[in-house]
Amino acid sequence: MKNQLFIFSLILVLGTNLFAQSLDINGYVRSYLGVLTNDTNDYSINQNTLDLKLKRVDDNVSFFANPYLVQTPNQDVRLGLREAYMDVYFNNMDLRIGKQQIIWGKADGMFITDIVSPKDLGEFLLRDFDEIRSGITSLKANYFLGDNTVEMVWIPTFTPTKMPDETSIWSRIPEFPLSITIDESQKEIPGRLENSEGFVKFSGMSSLLDYEIMAGSMWDDDPTLHIVPIITVDNPTPSGLMLIPIHHQLTLVGGSFSSELGGVILRGEGAYYMGKQLSALNPEQLNLPTSLLEKDYAHYLIGTDFSIGTTRLSTQFIQRAILDYDDSIIQEELDNTMTFLANRTFLQETLTLQLFGYFGLNNEDALIRPSLTYDLADGFEINAGANIFIQNEDSENIGQFGYYDDNDMVYVKVKYSF
Amino acid sequence: MKILKSKLTIFALISGLIFAQDLSGLEVIQNVYNRPTGNDMTGNLVMTIENSRGNQRVRKIKQYLKDFGKDEKKIMFFLSPADVKNTSFMTWSYDDESKSDDQWIYLPALKKVKRISSDSKGDYFMGSDFTYDDLGDRHPMDDTHTILREEVMGGKETIVIESIPKDEEYMYSRTVTWVMKDTWIGLKKEFYDEDDDLLKILTVDAQKSFGDVIILTKVKMHNIQRNQFTIMEFSNVEIDKGIPNNKFSERMMKRGI
Repeated sequence: MKNQLFIFSLILVLGTNLFAQSLDINGYVRSYLGVLTNDTNDYSINQNTLDLKLKRVDDNVSFFANPYLVQTPNQDVRLGLREAYMDVYFNNMDLRIGKQQIIWGKADGMFITDIVSPKDLGEFLLRDFDEIRSGITSLKANYFLGDNTVEMVWIPTFTPTKMPDETSIWSRIPEFPLSITIDESQKEIPGRLENSEGFVKFSGMSSLLDYEIMAGSMWDDDPTLHIVPIITVDNPTPSGLMLIPIHHQLTLVGGSFSSELGGVILRGEGAYYMGKQLSALNPEQLNLPTSLLEKDYAHYLIGTDFSIGTTRLSTQFIQRAILDYDDSIIQEELDNTMTFLANRTFLQETLTLQLFGYFGLNNEDALIRPSLTYDLADGFEINAGANIFIQNEDSENIGQFGYYDDNDMVYVKVKYSF
Repeated sequence: MKILKSKLTIFALISGLIFAQDLSGLEVIQNVYNRPTGNDMTGNLVMTIENSRGNQRVRKIKQYLKDFGKDEKKIMFFLSPADVKNTSFMTWSYDDESKSDDQWIYLPALKKVKRISSDSKGDYFMGSDFTYDDLGDRHPMDDTHTILREEVMGGKETIVIESIPKDEEYMYSRTVTWVMKDTWIGLKKEFYDEDDDLLKILTVDAQKSFGDVIILTKVKMHNIQRNQFTIMEFSNVEIDKGIPNNKFSERMMKRGI
């Protein structure tokens, strides 16, 4: 830890001395406290964050770094580097080299074509936008043709979705009828050229329509669980299950659009994924989920943004459909989700009231997120809110939101941006 | 270049030495609307918002404007406060009355450019006392204009015009503008709410000439009913410096100044 603090201090010294004339330093300090509303009243989160954004721009080059420190009481201080990249600007082309977040698509809070940067689900979906995506070391090239852009991304080393720690309240371990053992020996994707990922996007902006068309060859950010029954020579009946998470390769094509029609913004996004490995029940092994079936699936949404008076509203309908479906597959053939957002400001935009919700239509579960933000002064805000998980106990399955029904919480964040 | 007159200069007009007595209210406002200006403009905007308790908030913005034929494009980069720094906002406005503006916003936290509706012109701009429509380029044909009187204001001869919107749902029941006879600059404008009570008063505190073009470099919008005001000060103004077309693009919204 001392080494980490030394590096962080070095960054600060470099920032304030070597580049003092032209280094742009911004960031924020934030205190964040969340309390579970169940019987325990445990703190769901209690942390202080220092987030720095360092930027220097010269004529045709620039660099940007976003180091951060997170301090949790009675734990070591955690140092991270969200992004650190260099830009090179040409007449019609930009190059970005280094660790960077790459965000695609027109959806809000959903990941359909926005799959270049992996997710950090350490706190499920509750983190702020810039914290829920992990930076990836990559080379990004943008070539500009008027209001159209060709973007190509090469990611030499695969980075998976970051899952919660096993002890976290956000950890989710699948339930099986037998005891399980987890073997993570095959989870790593070796860093070599043939294991790199590539994406390409063609996008355009016009008065009528904004659009993106994309394709990618990638590793599935979420590993497939290969489930092997544990049997002995003496007893052919499985005594347990070995879970072996393995990332498989995926190919996808997709696109998105956004347009205004009569004061209403219409948005759409969709992707066709080829070669997804899906767990399925195996009738030859006591109907345990030990089979894998390779299927294609489609993931798409339609959404609108509009205003009623001074209240801004947004809603999205999202569907994931497994094609050539087999009844043995554990996931449902169609998975439907909706989102809803309402936002209104008061007192010359110093007070913001917001309500955001995810609604799982298959299992009638939800995550409701009301919040109130007050700007005490320029750059200084207090944000209080709640994260309410709803589960329908009559539903056959537990949805991704209903699973955390015991994790309802209230929180307060105090943030000073500089 | 109606852009400059409406969006940056805010009611700035350029010289048009037409004798006002022979004009109707509509013709006066059309002279304001159709005045010749430069092809492009850049400048820094400092917006000071003061509430009824005397608390001030300051927003700093870098703006670029350019004519594209009869249409115009504008891009704004927010410099401060820190929590909105690097946010950018782009508007494409069209001469065709039937065509709405196109607007996009880039939020650094989201790292993407979002198209937003231009249908909320009654919303206040960044918590100020200016609505988006106040800053915009209202077409003369949207209102019925009547000359009320001629008046000397601060030693300058003005024509006082009352403008009543044809759309009964419009946020103001009427506006009254004091237009200078010699330069077609609106020195003062009163805004009346739907109950015909005085809501806001816009006044011009400073102006600067750039050849034939006159830019209002300091204007104040006083909300009478809330007892609060917003001052916009414009500095480092440059006219016709040849801003490249690609300044008004998604690339630049993300890249920043």
